[in-house]
Amino acid sequence: MKVLGSRFLPIAYPEARPWGPPVRASRHRVRRSLSGLVAVCGLLFAGASAQAQVASLDLGSALFVEPSKRSGLTVVNPSATLAVKPNDWLTVQGAYEADIVSGASESVKGGPLSNVDVVSSATHFSDTRNAVTGGFTITRASTHLSGSYTYGTEHDYRSNAFAVSAGTDFLQKNTQIELSYGRGFDKVCTTAFAASDAPSSRLALDNSHGCFTDDKKRASRDISLNNFQVGWTQTWTPVFTTQLVLSAALQNGFLGNPYRAVVIASAGDQALENHPENRARGAIGLRGKYYLRNLQTAVSVGARLYRDTWDIFGQTYELDAERYMLPWLRVLVRARYYTQTKALFWSDDYTGGEPANGPRGQYWSGDRELSPLSSYLVGGRVLATREGRPGQRVLGLFLRFSGSIGFDLLKTNLRDFTLGGRSPDDTLALLWSIGLRGEF
Amino acid sequence: MKQLHARAVLQALGLLLGVTVLVGSAGCATVRPEQRAILADPTMQFDEKSADQAALEHTLDNREGSTGGGSVRGGGCGCN
Repeated sequence: MKVLGSRFLPIAYPEARPWGPPVRASRHRVRRSLSGLVAVCGLLFAGASAQAQVASLDLGSALFVEPSKRSGLTVVNPSATLAVKPNDWLTVQGAYEADIVSGASESVKGGPLSNVDVVSSATHFSDTRNAVTGGFTITRASTHLSGSYTYGTEHDYRSNAFAVSAGTDFLQKNTQIELSYGRGFDKVCTTAFAASDAPSSRLALDNSHGCFTDDKKRASRDISLNNFQVGWTQTWTPVFTTQLVLSAALQNGFLGNPYRAVVIASAGDQALENHPENRARGAIGLRGKYYLRNLQTAVSVGARLYRDTWDIFGQTYELDAERYMLPWLRVLVRARYYTQTKALFWSDDYTGGEPANGPRGQYWSGDRELSPLSSYLVGGRVLATREGRPGQRVLGLFLRFSGSIGFDLLKTNLRDFTLGGRSPDDTLALLWSIGLRGEF
Repeated sequence: MKQLHARAVLQALGLLLGVTVLVGSAGCATVRPEQRAILADPTMQFDEKSADQAALEHTLDNREGSTGGGSVRGGGCGCN
């Protein structure tokens, strides 16, 4: 399930999941996973230190806060990645990351005509997602091949994802092409309804107890994910480069949030969110980077168009600028605007009436990611790098060491989504991040 | 219906023509290795795997209905 937002459905990426409410984080599992990672890192690094030319360790953490009087959300996302180069052509990599989520969310979605108090239905929850990744990259003269496997687990979700990518450069290294493919085999826990049961009679989960056991009240549903991507990077002049990226994704299976119920009748009847079982998604992104010599600043401009078979059309426009304030200190500022149309079956209220409110066919959703919305983002990052002089190491240990601090502010404008007719107040998100990188 | 079909074919042909022109012109753009000092700088790289970028992508993936079309590895180095 997705990690940021129990109220939202599981779109797409193998590592993503729609996560949900009332479960308690099992800290011993986090500790166990961390211990495992440390052990793996230790083994890798021990092997590497004997003969490796370079090893790098990345430690990071992010804090996501979405303040709200009624719901609110906090996510802490620690991560660690160790990469080792036993020789010139091979890099072996291991990584661990977690999403420690806590907050409250409305478990029932209804619109202005719904006869339920969806606001007071907010329930507190916490959960932890753990994910470990192992991978490699083989680099030859002008080509590289990468492969990785990621296993992610939560109380109510399991994910297995494989990814491969290959790239090459030609035309005197002015052109680079990269192809990648990802395959995910995920499982999500739901209530134990049969496929033949009417969607309107299906119940939402109220907690994750019994998930992935032989509990007769729980069932495991498959989610199949296929992701394709092609990237073309081109240098045009000594100060100008562009990148064109085409992405496609195919999803099949249970694509809703198992915790979310939607009011589907004026009498207040509720049913588990019901989304189509198939979704094809495509995106094209074009970015350009230009170095302004007089300002000594690298400026990047980008645009992305997105379309899927649920009829969502999204547009993204990005602008960022980065420069060295000191030889060892870089500062980046960025801005982004995003807008999307609604899914074909989206309605703020499914209890009756047309066309603004009312039934949208056989599907119903409480996912605000499927509603028409736009968002603004502003933020930046400061990054400091210290490099050892020839024959010397930074702090006696690192060939190179860097640290970064980032902050972003995201404001979302929900054009149609309400909770019982009231606009949600959790539309401002704050994101802090910190990263440390050492190369040995 | 036929008009729609014809328009789609025209759009596809236009896209194909545009890509062909772009790819063709790419062959004319030659930046020599000694001219790559700026292109090789981290500030000119796409898909720099920084902590803040990873966190931001993670957030946006979970707050928007769209996905994909992001950066891939690539940039201006190729210095050797």
